[in-house]
Amino acid sequence: MAGTSPTDQRAPLVEARQIWKFFGSIAVLRGVDLTLRPGEVHALLGGNGAGKSTLMKMIAGLHSLDRGELLVCGEDASAMTPVTARQAGIHLVPQEPMLFPSLSVEENVLMHVPGNRKELRARLETMIGEIGAGMTLSTQAGQLEVADQQMVEILRGLIRDARILILDEPTSALTPREVGKLFARIRALTAQGVGIFFISHKLGEIREIADIVSILRDGQVVLAGPPKSFTDAEIVAAMTHVEGREDFTLGHAAVAPAERGAERLRVEGLAGEGFADVTFSLHSGEILGLAGVVGSGRTELAETIYGIRPAARGRVFVEGKPLSGHGPRDSLDAGVVYLPEDRQVSGLFVNAPLVWNASALVLHRGRQWLPLAKERADFSEQIKLLGIVCGSSDQPVRTLSGGNQQKVLLAKCLAAGPRVLILDEPTRGVDVAVRADIYRLIDRLAAEGLAILLISSDHEEVERLSHRVLVMNHGYPGGMLEGSDITINAIARLSFGVGANLDAAQ
Amino acid sequence: MRLHPALKRWESVLALLLVAEILLFGAINPVFLQPSMLLYATSDFIHIGITALALTLVIITGGIDLSLGSVMGLSAITLGILWVDGVNIWVAALAALAVGTLSGVFNAVAIHLSKVNPLVITLGTGFLYGGAALVLSGLAGATGYEGISNFDPAFVNLANLQVVGLPLPFALFLALTVGFMALLHRTRFGRYVYLIGQNPRAAAYAGTPVFRTLVVAYALTSLMAALSGLILASYFGSARSDFGTTALMPAITAVVLGGTSIYGGSGTILGTALAALLVGYLQTGLQLVGVSSHVSSALSGGLLVIVVALRSLSEMGRVWFQHRRVLRNVAAE
Amino acid sequence: MIIRFLQRHREASVALIIVFLFAILGLVDRSYLSFDTVLLVYGNSLILFVLAIGATMVMATHGLDVSVGSIMGLAAVVAGLLMNAGWGIPAAIGVALLVGLVCGLFNGALVSLLNVSAIVATLGTLGLYRGLVHLLSGGAWIEGLPENFKALTKAGSLGLSPVAWLVLVLLIVAHLGLRYTAFGRSMFAVGDNREGARLIGIRVNEVQIAAYGLNGLLSALAGVIFASQIGFIPNTAGTGMEMRAIASSVLGGVSLLGGTGTVLGAALGAYFMTSIDSILVLLRLEAYWNDIIAGAILLVVLITDGKIREAVDRHLRYQKYRKFIDPQAAGQHADAAKAAARPLKTTLETSEARK
Repeated sequence: MAGTSPTDQRAPLVEARQIWKFFGSIAVLRGVDLTLRPGEVHALLGGNGAGKSTLMKMIAGLHSLDRGELLVCGEDASAMTPVTARQAGIHLVPQEPMLFPSLSVEENVLMHVPGNRKELRARLETMIGEIGAGMTLSTQAGQLEVADQQMVEILRGLIRDARILILDEPTSALTPREVGKLFARIRALTAQGVGIFFISHKLGEIREIADIVSILRDGQVVLAGPPKSFTDAEIVAAMTHVEGREDFTLGHAAVAPAERGAERLRVEGLAGEGFADVTFSLHSGEILGLAGVVGSGRTELAETIYGIRPAARGRVFVEGKPLSGHGPRDSLDAGVVYLPEDRQVSGLFVNAPLVWNASALVLHRGRQWLPLAKERADFSEQIKLLGIVCGSSDQPVRTLSGGNQQKVLLAKCLAAGPRVLILDEPTRGVDVAVRADIYRLIDRLAAEGLAILLISSDHEEVERLSHRVLVMNHGYPGGMLEGSDITINAIARLSFGVGANLDAAQ
Repeated sequence: MRLHPALKRWESVLALLLVAEILLFGAINPVFLQPSMLLYATSDFIHIGITALALTLVIITGGIDLSLGSVMGLSAITLGILWVDGVNIWVAALAALAVGTLSGVFNAVAIHLSKVNPLVITLGTGFLYGGAALVLSGLAGATGYEGISNFDPAFVNLANLQVVGLPLPFALFLALTVGFMALLHRTRFGRYVYLIGQNPRAAAYAGTPVFRTLVVAYALTSLMAALSGLILASYFGSARSDFGTTALMPAITAVVLGGTSIYGGSGTILGTALAALLVGYLQTGLQLVGVSSHVSSALSGGLLVIVVALRSLSEMGRVWFQHRRVLRNVAAE
Repeated sequence: MIIRFLQRHREASVALIIVFLFAILGLVDRSYLSFDTVLLVYGNSLILFVLAIGATMVMATHGLDVSVGSIMGLAAVVAGLLMNAGWGIPAAIGVALLVGLVCGLFNGALVSLLNVSAIVATLGTLGLYRGLVHLLSGGAWIEGLPENFKALTKAGSLGLSPVAWLVLVLLIVAHLGLRYTAFGRSMFAVGDNREGARLIGIRVNEVQIAAYGLNGLLSALAGVIFASQIGFIPNTAGTGMEMRAIASSVLGGVSLLGGTGTVLGAALGAYFMTSIDSILVLLRLEAYWNDIIAGAILLVVLITDGKIREAVDRHLRYQKYRKFIDPQAAGQHADAAKAAARPLKTTLETSEARK
């Protein structure tokens, strides 16, 4: 960064050598080396599950390390706790705000900060003024919007005189103006010799602020050095390289059926919590992609069609019959089945046997007395059909790998005999082989005449699978792509709108 | 070391403990081993077991019912008041059961309407029902510890009646155990109970009738509490408003000791039934060997603490060992 | 507006209910409406006050302690036995308080270190400590306590007994301590978001154990006050007090989910619970009306509170999504978005065409 002398001579603030970390039997960090020097901004890049957050939480003492060496200011810190991390001047601003929802903004920021209350309060007020955040100190943190909650987290980090500041995706909910203010603050801190870890998905930001960038993939550092020594393409390739992906994602495999099937789902001028003016129809045998960045209203739209959220305006027709003021049960009976994006939270009963999960959507169709033998037999068929790898149908879902859990969730949805299937991020957090399986399954289901609405943040996935793509932009339809117009490029442009950072999107 | 899966179950541990307990007390005092002793001793505690069976359902849904003790008293007093007013004793008993069921429905409705923690709501309804029982008994002039007595002899004899060689309350407990096992493990309602307790959000996404399931679970618990109140009234030959005050904590103890997670989502009826007997016989046995009933209640409290602490420790140990094994495997590679 | 205020400041709504109760009392007989009545109720609330302070601390950490009644009994018995064995009053009370502290710390260790759920752990110790009461007392009541000990709760200066003054000081210290000291705030932080508290370097386990320990200490004090007030110690001393203590705190706005509440609110809740009792006596109504009134008011407050919170949430949701839901507001935004989308579509088409 301009104005900073070469920092390599100074003793490092943090030195991580060959760090390993396991969650259960899964290795999240596999021999990571990392160094942070005073006055340096060290950016970390990587996809979901690459291990960035785990690594940062480890430095903040929230996770213990299983193997390797961690030195903070030259001293061994492998047994660090949050308390000792704080004493060593480390502060983590987490990705998901970890605020106290019942306490006020002031209490949240100043909690456990030593010093005179009045002075701290005055400092906090000037800081809020400087950074341009419009919030009052007495507001309950739980009532703030996510962006403001994130701002409170950042303020928490800034008001503590930290020597090592970790910012885990601090800009994801901020406006460009706020980001500018934050960067000015960061520069002031580094000038005082503070070392900063900076996690972001935005390449532009990293080029602007970072001295060093390390790219993590699958728990390993795959690329490290000053950002200007790499091209955007090199960085994106290092980040997103999926081994074996070429086998099944190359080219545009989705071929629209020669003639359209009967209309299964029609949405007219639907508006609800986070989207409006959505109109489209979905036909038998068709895969309609629903693309857009996170927060563009895709999931809200799907949940409104399914009946989890209330609709404000507009109408939904399933096979010509209107569906309104409905709940999930009505949707299921009409043949609309929804696969939720977060399988652990809304999709699966992770502590229940596999077979209970598979039958959860059809229980109400049977009689009061459970047909246990039939339930089991039906599930064994699905095990074969979907290739679920499991020991017995009685084992709890949590004992399966992510990919197999996702297959169980698919089994649950298919058991309901859908006429319209809404898939929300059907391949999130699954490995390559399962991803291929799921793609083949989706293709086959469409070929058999099922109408599929596919929501995905993975543009390659949308391109590969969809016959048509509706792109959402800030809650409104940004455009419909058809046939050869469906390219990753086009989806990215429509979903980011004018002036978007295309580097990051590609 | 491979154990048969059935032996790994918590219920097997409880059954073994129960047998060991009976043999131990029998060794100290052979009277304990007489079948009639073992059978009739149950009359002192079986009302707790009966209530605990239904409470298991509520706790599996992730809820709790602190009002069941009050419902026992309310049901007994309802019976007493109607009887004093000249209502036929069987009609009065039915009315008492109906009042119990209604209080359970009210619990579920209040929880659903307010979206407040069941613990807090049933704390409030506990005061309400207990207070109602006090008011009823007060209005009937039955304050104090005598309560309402002089019931129809046919009703009082019920508790001493024998069914296939078993005392009626115990026979009822066995039948209800089987009934609740079928309900929880073999019916759609039972499945909903588990699913709601495991993941209420996923249950909502699956279109599960959450409210209806909760109403039934809470109503059954109150119904069983009311039934227990009647059993006590028959057993003691009188009805008092404070019948249930000491039953709440042992009932929760039986459910938790039986292996049901207080956070919901898992548990079995058989576990609760065995734990109820285990705790009940512990009290009886201790009294028989000369320990006062109050000290024996301390020991059952101690038993609960030790068991849950050990279960928690063994879970921590399991995670630790698993982690160690993973690390060793990696080191070996 | 008023509803929002009352919801934010639960202390105010409880205070309002208490005023209402006294108003009824005044309607019936004006002469009851005096400061003496207020003091009378205060004197009768001492035990519940002390327990409510402890319950507030434990509940602030998202905990619950149902063993306080047993700790009360145990401390009373310990104090009584020691005094009857010839110990000095301060020493006997000191040991009793120490016993309470140890009991509370044990509860805290079970919950915090062994990860046992609070209700289960304290349910177990509820039985355990009660059993110790019987074991120590041999099943008999403890009578013949020293007169000086009983005098501690006899009215003294300004119509308040020495203990009543102590409790007043305790209430003020606890209220301010929980609100304004780092330790007090950290209890709320732990209850509100345990992981978040860990993140900013709060010693989560220690705070939790300390809350239970202090609660045990306060329960022991309540037991000592109880013994002094009634002059003898039955084996059942303190039974059922846990529910009254929790109910008082909940009524006063302390959340069982942790993170919110004040000692002032809990104390007002306790005062209310006792005032029903005292007022029934003054109105010459039978005491058996007490619980049903307490229960009904508790439920009304809880359900109204829940409904208001739901309405507030709904309003926040509406605000958040207003531009999509409200057609008026939607109009402009939608047009803007369409306007933004259209040229993009055309540039896109041209760029695709160029390829």
